[in-house]
Amino acid sequence: MCDDQTRIYYQHLKQGELWLQYCLNCQEHTFYPRSHCPGCLDQQLEWRKSQGQGRVYSYSIIHVQSLADDDVPYIYSLVTLDEGVRLATRIVDCSPEAVHVDMGVEMVVRAINGQLMPVFKPVAGLKSQA
Amino acid sequence: MKKKRALITGISELAPHKTAYGQKTLALLAESSRLAIEDAGLQKRDIDGLLVTPPSEDSAFMWPAQVAEYLQIKPVFLNMVELGGASAAGAVARAAMLVEAGICDNCLCLSGGVWDSQVFNTLEGKMSVMSQAEIDFELPYLPMGFNTGYALIARRHMHLYGTTPEQMAKIAVDQRFNALHNPLALFNQAPLTIEEVLQSLLITDPLHLLEIVRPCSGAAAAVVSRASSDMNTHRSVSVLGWGEACTHNSIVYSEEITISPVKESAQRAFAMAECGPADIDLVSLYDCYPITVLITLEDAGFCAKGEGGSFVARHNLTYQGDFPCNTHGGQLSMGQPSFAGGMSHIIEAVRQLRGEAGIRQVPQNRLAFVNGNGGVMSTESSLVLGRTEHV
Repeated sequence: MCDDQTRIYYQHLKQGELWLQYCLNCQEHTFYPRSHCPGCLDQQLEWRKSQGQGRVYSYSIIHVQSLADDDVPYIYSLVTLDEGVRLATRIVDCSPEAVHVDMGVEMVVRAINGQLMPVFKPVAGLKSQA
Repeated sequence: MKKKRALITGISELAPHKTAYGQKTLALLAESSRLAIEDAGLQKRDIDGLLVTPPSEDSAFMWPAQVAEYLQIKPVFLNMVELGGASAAGAVARAAMLVEAGICDNCLCLSGGVWDSQVFNTLEGKMSVMSQAEIDFELPYLPMGFNTGYALIARRHMHLYGTTPEQMAKIAVDQRFNALHNPLALFNQAPLTIEEVLQSLLITDPLHLLEIVRPCSGAAAAVVSRASSDMNTHRSVSVLGWGEACTHNSIVYSEEITISPVKESAQRAFAMAECGPADIDLVSLYDCYPITVLITLEDAGFCAKGEGGSFVARHNLTYQGDFPCNTHGGQLSMGQPSFAGGMSHIIEAVRQLRGEAGIRQVPQNRLAFVNGNGGVMSTESSLVLGRTEHV
């Protein structure tokens, strides 16, 4: 079912990198991958590597999961990247008690149920105060 | 207020059931149609418009024609209205347009069907209500369906405004009080306390089990008619205003998840009805979770943004209270039939405006605000309904 843009996105992830589309007209990043810029509906989109830095926008600790093949609890989250886009993800290497809105996070690629996905871990040390 | 020509003349609501008991969606729709047409004092041949929400089990292909054939009606306008939980309010709004434009005389709005309660617990079930983008970029992280979307809204609202779990739980508690006097409600056996809500299983933090709507089987219908001079209107209810708005599909891409399209849809409904929140006597607000009601109250203008928590804590939301809200118990106590069309909120508002709500009748019943909400606060359809004073 994957379209070309989605395929490119997941190919970059296999290299451990998060790439986003950038519209040359609007001069803005966009997410999720697509054929046309949602700002101007033009196709002047180029791929750029994300710095992988962002902040927790909101989160929910999932305690009950109806698809049985995953370990609860885990932290489902929306993260806003420094590039300005927001994506759904998980927060990893962080206890449910420690996660909070606006927490500084950085991207790592991990396998979830066998699929490589971008997830985010807390930024260590002083950087989280930035 | 300007004279409005669209009237809700007939309503019906079947008792929701936790399972389908072998019934089929078309049977439920036929039964609710019969009751609503009878309630309107009409004959089946008088129905010339059909607006129906999507089926749960049957093929959606040519669904309006499937329903028309089963009912043996010959509509001159027919359509499926697919706005998730905003579908029923959206259908009434469309029906109002159709009768005001002189295209239909009596438009039947149908919502409901059978529901397999396990459907969201399978991968196929989850995917059946997701866009391709959600399947590609959200499902791999295993959100718990709609529950998690609303949990994200609740968590951010708590962070920005200090909204508390107790404030959100109170909405479910007040609505349960209302349900105790509604024989149709699935959960009308025992009252609920805030402590019980907060001690129930934490599913997708901050949402507890008793804050999550229960899908079920059921159906409800409304007949929207063009007012005519020979009509006896003493039981009819006027569609005074409506508004609709959509800002996203997945909540991930909402500009600010604590602000919903209700802001736009309610403003439009009030402008058309030439009134405002202060004029409203009772509200019927789509409630898949308490946070949905809280956000709707803010965005419709009943209180300021961020003050929803203190508003619900300060007001008694029961039919005996100073701010009657979901006097039938809401979906949280009624159950959420089929694809959650949201018709029960409209039905209860009509009962109240007619003065036919029995023990739940509110003393002031001139104007009602109704809101339907689809997806994760994606698509909103607002109605202002009023007692028909004259036509």
